[in-house]
Amino acid sequence: MKTEQLIDLLAKNVEPAERPRWARRLALTLLVGLIAAALIVAIGIGVRPDIGAARMPVMMKAMFSAAIAAALLPLTVQLMKPGRPLSWRVGAVIGLAAICAIATLVALIGEEPEERMEAWMGGGFPWCVVIVPILAAPTAAGLLWLMRAFAPTRLMLAGAAIGALSGGVGAMAYAMYCPVDSVAFVTTWYVVAIALCAALGAAIGARILRW
Amino acid sequence: MADEVHLRALMLRGLAGDAAAHRAFLTDAAALLRAYFRNRLRDSPEDAEDLVQETLVALHTRRDSYDPAYPLTAWLYAIARYRLIDHLRRAKHRAHASLDGVDVGEGDPEYDASDARRDVRVLLDRLPEKQRTAIRLVKLEEKSVREAASLTGLSESDIKISIHRGLKTLMRLMTQEQAT
Repeated sequence: MKTEQLIDLLAKNVEPAERPRWARRLALTLLVGLIAAALIVAIGIGVRPDIGAARMPVMMKAMFSAAIAAALLPLTVQLMKPGRPLSWRVGAVIGLAAICAIATLVALIGEEPEERMEAWMGGGFPWCVVIVPILAAPTAAGLLWLMRAFAPTRLMLAGAAIGALSGGVGAMAYAMYCPVDSVAFVTTWYVVAIALCAALGAAIGARILRW
Repeated sequence: MADEVHLRALMLRGLAGDAAAHRAFLTDAAALLRAYFRNRLRDSPEDAEDLVQETLVALHTRRDSYDPAYPLTAWLYAIARYRLIDHLRRAKHRAHASLDGVDVGEGDPEYDASDARRDVRVLLDRLPEKQRTAIRLVKLEEKSVREAASLTGLSESDIKISIHRGLKTLMRLMTQEQAT
């Protein structure tokens, strides 16, 4: 078939394009993902027993995770569609990572030398590195599905952004369980968990987002 | 820069439902795409034209991913670049699959510039029944969506969705066919 014939076919009886309500769908996907993650925590691994007394640190950790998700949102939106500039949106993510690194250092310097290790590692294995990616999975599935309806052209980057954004949402729910309240622990291991989500997202996105 | 202003105006009119503007947009886009792909696939003009057609279907079916707040040519070339990378990746897979069977291709002096190697009409026959019928009625036999709906007993939105899905399926078939 000649290209002119194909153009004829495509342009014939063309209808006005529908404006997809992507902002609403995105918000809905994030909300459903967060609720799913919260349910997994509540039913699967259990809310921390002292949640009544620990409302303040739980809120702080949830807010911290929400801030990471918020920093990734503009970048993810740009990567949904072809040819949109990333510019400051990458800077927002790098800036937040830098702030976390500084906060970790400052918090550790403030600790007594013999308590530093405990404050940093949380006195055991940092389970958030394993659990946050699991909690991120529902959000990531929803975002991948949403993004497939558009036309991402940088698949690994788009997958990484989806992974990290989902990781932030997952970490918000994880805060209800997480028994460790030290600042250095959160600014290190939450960030590592979310970075792991980004890596998984990049690997999965490169395959699933192809169109 | 002239391309940008001109193409963007056509695209916006096309998005609003102006078929003539949409055709003009696709025609001018095809010329840009042809230059783009030929520059990058100097050894195989047929592959270049296959890619032009594949990308035109992509521009059409994904046109709602264009946001008027951003430059149109950036959108267009991002899609072209993506299709090219996808093509090269498939070509690499092919080369790995059978190194003996690689077709280096003879230069054909009689080759018609705008004729792709694959025939889209053959691929149309491979679409699911409902999608094929909708595309045949509205796109080939020039019936309106309403006429097509009453002829098939489907709703108008069903016809529109079938056409849209059918064209997306078509693009997938175009890429798969190339891989065999």
